[in-house]
Amino acid sequence: MSIDMSQFYQVFFEETSEHLASMETLLLNLNVESPSLEELNAIFRAAHSIKGGSGTFGFTDMTSVTHVLESLLDRLRKEELALRAEMVDAFLAAGDVLRAQLEHHQGGPEADADEIASVCERLNQLASNDPTATDAHPADHSMPADEPAPAQVRRIRLECMLPANVSGTPEAFDNLLDALRDAAAVDIKQRPNGMDGKFVAILTTQASDNDLKEVLAFYCGPDEVLIEPEAEEDAYGFFEDLPDPVVSQQADDSYGFFDELPSGDEASSAGMEAAGFGLFDDAPGAPGSEPEPPEVSPGDSPAAIEGPGYGIYVNAPGGLGLFDDAPGAEYVLKTSAPRPFSDKANAILSRESDSATTKVNPAPQVEATSTVGRRLTDNPGVETAKAGRRDNDKIITAANTDTSIRVAVEKVDQLINLVGELVITQAMLAEAASNLDPVLAEKVLAGIDLLSRNTRDMQESVMSIRMLPMSMVFSRFPRVVRDLAGKLNKLVEIKTIGDNTELDKGLIEKITDPMTHLVRNSLDHGIEIPEKRVAAGKNPKGTLTLKASHQGGNVVIEVIDDGGGLDRARILEKAKEKGLPVNDGMSDFDVWQLIFAPGFSTADVVTDVSGRGVGMDVVKRNIEGLGGRVELESSPGFGTRTVIRLPLTLAILDGMSVGVGGETFILPITTVIESLQPKLDDIRTLAGDSRMVHIRGEYLPFVSLATAFGLDGVQDITKGLLVVVEAEEGKAALFVDELLGQQQVVIKSLEANYRKVPGISGATIMGDGRVAMIIDVSAVTRMGLSHARPRLVA
Amino acid sequence: MDYPETSGVAASGEYLTFTLGAEEYGIDILKVQEIRGYDAVTKIANAPPFIKGVINLRGVIVPIVDLRIKFNLGAPTYDQFTVVIILNIGKRVMGIVVDGVSDVIQLSSSNLHPSPEFGSILDTRYILGLGTVEERMIIVVDIERLMTSQEMSLVEAAAA
Repeated sequence: MSIDMSQFYQVFFEETSEHLASMETLLLNLNVESPSLEELNAIFRAAHSIKGGSGTFGFTDMTSVTHVLESLLDRLRKEELALRAEMVDAFLAAGDVLRAQLEHHQGGPEADADEIASVCERLNQLASNDPTATDAHPADHSMPADEPAPAQVRRIRLECMLPANVSGTPEAFDNLLDALRDAAAVDIKQRPNGMDGKFVAILTTQASDNDLKEVLAFYCGPDEVLIEPEAEEDAYGFFEDLPDPVVSQQADDSYGFFDELPSGDEASSAGMEAAGFGLFDDAPGAPGSEPEPPEVSPGDSPAAIEGPGYGIYVNAPGGLGLFDDAPGAEYVLKTSAPRPFSDKANAILSRESDSATTKVNPAPQVEATSTVGRRLTDNPGVETAKAGRRDNDKIITAANTDTSIRVAVEKVDQLINLVGELVITQAMLAEAASNLDPVLAEKVLAGIDLLSRNTRDMQESVMSIRMLPMSMVFSRFPRVVRDLAGKLNKLVEIKTIGDNTELDKGLIEKITDPMTHLVRNSLDHGIEIPEKRVAAGKNPKGTLTLKASHQGGNVVIEVIDDGGGLDRARILEKAKEKGLPVNDGMSDFDVWQLIFAPGFSTADVVTDVSGRGVGMDVVKRNIEGLGGRVELESSPGFGTRTVIRLPLTLAILDGMSVGVGGETFILPITTVIESLQPKLDDIRTLAGDSRMVHIRGEYLPFVSLATAFGLDGVQDITKGLLVVVEAEEGKAALFVDELLGQQQVVIKSLEANYRKVPGISGATIMGDGRVAMIIDVSAVTRMGLSHARPRLVA
Repeated sequence: MDYPETSGVAASGEYLTFTLGAEEYGIDILKVQEIRGYDAVTKIANAPPFIKGVINLRGVIVPIVDLRIKFNLGAPTYDQFTVVIILNIGKRVMGIVVDGVSDVIQLSSSNLHPSPEFGSILDTRYILGLGTVEERMIIVVDIERLMTSQEMSLVEAAAA
């Protein structure tokens, strides 16, 4: 059976990059002095998932790196090793290597083999060179239950629900089987089938339950795994009321023993139950009261005496021990000497509380036994706390998987398009209905009202599907800042505010690069070295704040540092050197804008961080390309604030509709400053045809849209209107016939079926179903000016 | 990309025929999405005159080309009888205005002849062959090649 695995590759790539990202976030948040076990486990799980996935898909290079990574993580989470800062570094480096490998598999450049080798080396070294730590955390390992169990072959029934991605994929299931077969002989009773992920098998194994669960950990959570000793129904019923650890760890040979019991006695199958029960009833059932083993054994023996060789049972604790695959069993089998009962109960019960989250047996039992466990175990706090933590982990993961679905962006876009259509249709309907007599057509009009409200709500919620929280962008910066601060020998703390501010997916993707640039700039030029900060009376540790918020129809993203601020004199000096038109009387705002000029850098030394002077102009261009603006505020000695204003989404634009020569055009409202009715004597005609408008002391180029688009517009200047816009090159006055209104429009591509049109950034569909062009203000301004120029030459 | 398959002698199949001036043309019916009346278009600035503009076809912006203007077939009129053929070419949707749509015909390769050099209004590069149906001569057009050609300026010039 061969399935084309490549269709699953994409899923693997996506999942792996998510795992890598979450691993990185977790690593960065990890408190090195006292790492939380929960976090270590989460990191381990991420690494483990990557390993499992890459193994399944045959990306062995990734498997080998994750394997090394995982080994070290495993030792950490078992507290055999203490976490150290260099380990975090090594983990981060390993994450980078994995990402490079992943990109390679996605068709990117090959990962650096030396880098891979050195990272693996580092991890191996870290994993091996700390033998002392093993003793440092004896808690887990001195527990009898955790000692390697004597090889005792058990037969157990394994039942688990596999997630659909495993049960539906034969390869994944085969992998699971292979992994299980490494640990046990597997006799499959029920194969998972498509959506029904139930998997039942009888295992014959020496491995402990925990080992088996670990094998399955990649496929399903431990609480989805049900492990019971394999037994006949009646025999099982016999143990039904027992504390579960005993049941679960029962070896099948002990079962055989009960099966062979003669039935003539009171202690035949039914009677046995009572008697057997009595054993536990007497012993662990009242453990709080320091049970006397000798007292227990008599209670037990009537049940056990029938068979030969049951002398073991005469020694009550031995009987108990037999059920346990922990060392207790061995001990009892060898020596018949009675042993204080509570010790073994400890062993069993502490084990139980260790795996309290697994539903080994009916749930109410767990609570009962863990109460016992708490009373009996040496350090119940540790154990139960651990169990509790795992519980929490599971709840979090479960919640994540249940509440989100992965959908292709095209599907969402298609939905958005359809809803856009619906809105237009609704507008047309409303238009048509406006002629109806409100008395006669009351119901129709009410219905249309309702329809309009519903479509609007629907549009909003559909648009929100594309919205992603800013944390998607922010989350990458702790790492950038950490690396960069280290490189620059600065102390920097990063703060993020407004992580949940939502932004269109398209914008999220495009804002990352400009923001990275700003952050690097702040770190390199803004925040000073610790000595300098101390000298200035500031905290040696600089703060970089990333902030996102909604303001009206915009998302405002701020990058704030508490560094030295911009040096006005220096910028002016540099600007003069570059021959930019500056004077000493310029406003601060205008001076700060200078740093957005191409090739402008005040850095004396070009570092690999910044200083080449490419950057701020690119940032500005990128952000303007998204329909946004970028502004700077700075005060010397206190820091710099860069403010980016972006529209909420790329798909919707706030537009001002204007009429020119019978056609409707949309001007992005972010570019519009004002509109006014021109007076004839405000217009100054310069040489040839080019005209300027005099508006409140400023001379702005006059651009007629009718001329630019070759339409027959209003010729009489006093009959039309001027719209003052802010273009890339500065302000300009666009001459239009009339203003039609202001509305939100859905941006449609012209290029999909046609090609790029000069001066037009896109098209939209108006309420009446007609197409209107969206004006690219900067391009139109240039066009309008160049239209004038040739005539000037002629 | 599909040129090698569609160029040369056309394969047999169904063709939609339309008239342009005095000539009758046929295009592969599989390239036709729909036929509709002429709606008001939105003009595109600085486009050649035969590109009438764009329309909103159920949310998709579709450019409309008037082949009558393109091939200088007198003064075009736009009324309720003006027909637009919406074509699906590659991943693009575009419309052509023609004088009229006649019918759908079956042409087998036996009654399709390679086109001689003749003075059609269409360049022979875009002609797949000549077909005869009931004494009528039908010029079978490689509509994909025609619509994506440079002279139609409907698509961005490659690496211009």
